[in-house]
Amino acid sequence: MVKLRTRIFVIAAALLFLLFFSNDFGLIDIQKTAIVAAIGIDAGSEEGKLNVTAQIAVPDASGAGKAGNVTAENTRTVSEAMAQINRKTGWYPTLVHCRLVMLGEATAERDVFEFLNYFLRSEFVEDSCLIAVCKGTAQELFSSQSPIGELTAIAVSKVLSSEAEKTGLVCVTNLRDFAKGYFSPAASGYLPLVALRKEAESGGQGGTAQGTAAREQGAPAVLAADILPAAASDPAAQSGGDNAADVFDASQTMLFYRGKRAAVLDAGETLAFNLTETSTDFAYGEVTIEQDGAPVTYSLKIRIRKKKVSLDFQDGKPVLTFRVRANAQIADDSRADGIVDIAKTAFVPEPVLRAAEEALRVRLDAVLETTRESGCDLFGVRQKLHRRHPRYEREYAETVLRDCAIAYDIAFDTLQ
Amino acid sequence: MDNIKLRQICFYFACMMPAAKLLIYPATLAYDTKNDLLLAAGLNFAAQVLVLGAVLWLSARTDRTFFALLEGAFGRLCARIVYCLCAAFFLFSALFPMLEQRVFVTQVLYENVPSVLVYTPFFAVSFFACLQGLRTLGRAADVAMPLFAVSFVALILLAAPHADFGALLPVGRTGAGIFRGALFGVHRFADCLYPLFFLGHFRREKKTAGKVLAAFAAGALAVLVFLAVFYGIFEDIAVLRQNSIAHISKYTTSFTSLGRIDFLFIFALTVVQIFCLCVPVQLCVHCLRTALPRVHPLFFAAAANGALLTAVLLLNDTFLEVQQLFTQKLWAVFLVFAYLLPLAALPLCAAKKNKKREDGDG
Repeated sequence: MVKLRTRIFVIAAALLFLLFFSNDFGLIDIQKTAIVAAIGIDAGSEEGKLNVTAQIAVPDASGAGKAGNVTAENTRTVSEAMAQINRKTGWYPTLVHCRLVMLGEATAERDVFEFLNYFLRSEFVEDSCLIAVCKGTAQELFSSQSPIGELTAIAVSKVLSSEAEKTGLVCVTNLRDFAKGYFSPAASGYLPLVALRKEAESGGQGGTAQGTAAREQGAPAVLAADILPAAASDPAAQSGGDNAADVFDASQTMLFYRGKRAAVLDAGETLAFNLTETSTDFAYGEVTIEQDGAPVTYSLKIRIRKKKVSLDFQDGKPVLTFRVRANAQIADDSRADGIVDIAKTAFVPEPVLRAAEEALRVRLDAVLETTRESGCDLFGVRQKLHRRHPRYEREYAETVLRDCAIAYDIAFDTLQ
Repeated sequence: MDNIKLRQICFYFACMMPAAKLLIYPATLAYDTKNDLLLAAGLNFAAQVLVLGAVLWLSARTDRTFFALLEGAFGRLCARIVYCLCAAFFLFSALFPMLEQRVFVTQVLYENVPSVLVYTPFFAVSFFACLQGLRTLGRAADVAMPLFAVSFVALILLAAPHADFGALLPVGRTGAGIFRGALFGVHRFADCLYPLFFLGHFRREKKTAGKVLAAFAAGALAVLVFLAVFYGIFEDIAVLRQNSIAHISKYTTSFTSLGRIDFLFIFALTVVQIFCLCVPVQLCVHCLRTALPRVHPLFFAAAANGALLTAVLLLNDTFLEVQQLFTQKLWAVFLVFAYLLPLAALPLCAAKKNKKREDGDG
């Protein structure tokens, strides 16, 4: 009898456990639910106020979801905007599935954490969501014609994917990393700058949105992202067959210092930064050298083997050292090669390798100059000082970014 | 019924003890100690090792229960009073971890704010565990071991690649904050008191002390590794990331297409935490049953769980106040019961021997 009672008790406890973990008490009416896929934040028409646009995927009984944009105008906080969207539409906007926060260009003129704090406070917004800044307004960006499905946010998310970062095309940032930078001693961060390219014809142009952007900015040919072959380019730009669709370019990077816009890196500088600091381990670059009295352009496939940016003190003076070890392979060149040269595609001529090293150095010099002028500590020099050299911190806390000497230890080799 | 095996005690320290320290503790510790959170936790564990060593030393010299030792030294009434006080302490110490887990369950496992009643099934489990005595505690440890081992390792493997361990540098710059963090965290380190109440309820084996201390070291290492990974991932925003086990593993790239499959491991750790939260309530009922053997244990189990359920419901909106009370005000209570009481129990064994010798001489 006692055993039976115990068993009944165990089964009852197991059932209660099931209810406890299965969220059975948390069911909400699907007709009143609006899944927010992305949030766009723009400067309002009134001083200090915000326009918040929610790109919403509305599930329906048929299973075919629809997308819609709802904007709350001139609110003081994001929270107020959410309440306003709820009031306007009757939808309960659930932010659990929000995967993108897009800031309008004008918002970057003020400390963006005045309104990003909302996302850090909320337990319902994942800080792994992507964050970016766009040219113009986020509202306009969300209203564009997505080449894949109804949700523009998904197309933008693809442009900002981790795969894009691994090939050095985009500086991808999520909310956590951006907040970490802001609250660190460096008070710096970066966001990809997304530009809308209206009604790009996909297929047949042979170029990509990234490439178009790079050319528009007049990026130099060396180690710029504009030489990407179509096969490796942005999937958003390829889809759609002959249909016209807007595409998104995120090859530029906006730098932030103390939460405000500090500078913008062009596509080449973004690539150089990615090659030395982020998780990029495979990229394409272009080098032009003189051969037989004529310029020859080589497209290189670059594989990063090792990278490190370190701060050391030599004779009491700070030195920032960039160490990069990379393997390169010829993807293409601009001359008509013989059959033997094509067969030796894995072997890159020594002058080309040295030119590639020099090109990276030049790009990094430009990036460092930008960071020094803007105050944005892109390479975390102040943080390195705080962590690794605390005894020099008092002396160099304010000046290390400006005063540190730069040393390069960059070596490109051929692929084996 | 009230016996526990040495293996199960080891499993408790290796697998259940760390599980209770993975929710809000890392974030609150980071608030006081910043990047020096490992030092503060290390101090707490070092103090626990001392107490645990003392209790194991005591267990090597007597096979009697703590109650019998008290009774032998000071008489039955005194033993009953001490056990009733300890029961009150266990009941009290069980409250905050429950509130903490209730917050975790309602915030992480539910998309919207659920009813306050969703946490009440826990008390049915706790009631059942209390009725079954220390044997259930041992069984829970047996179940918890594989659950914890698999889930913890999986979560750490998912999270560690995203951690920058350089964030733990420079070491020791927080100064007084390290000691403040250790002191304010002392209420989470009351586990070292439990073996005192296991005395006389487990059979000693070869190298008992070594096995228990090794298991404790494994549990402590698990907590320290978790803290290091947690701070490595969140760095200066670590204080914002409460419910840390739900956050550290979500940055894995494949989750964008697969979804949060890490929640399987988080669920498993939540189950281990439930077993762990039952332990002080079980010990509370154990103390009351020992002190007042004439009262039916059902009454104690119902009263203890009823009191905790009422407290959890009443304190639904006052989590921060309770947290401040436990961390900043009541650390002295935890020091007295969890650390001084086991150390004060050491002479009991000697006092009994002396008394016997005097009786023999007479």
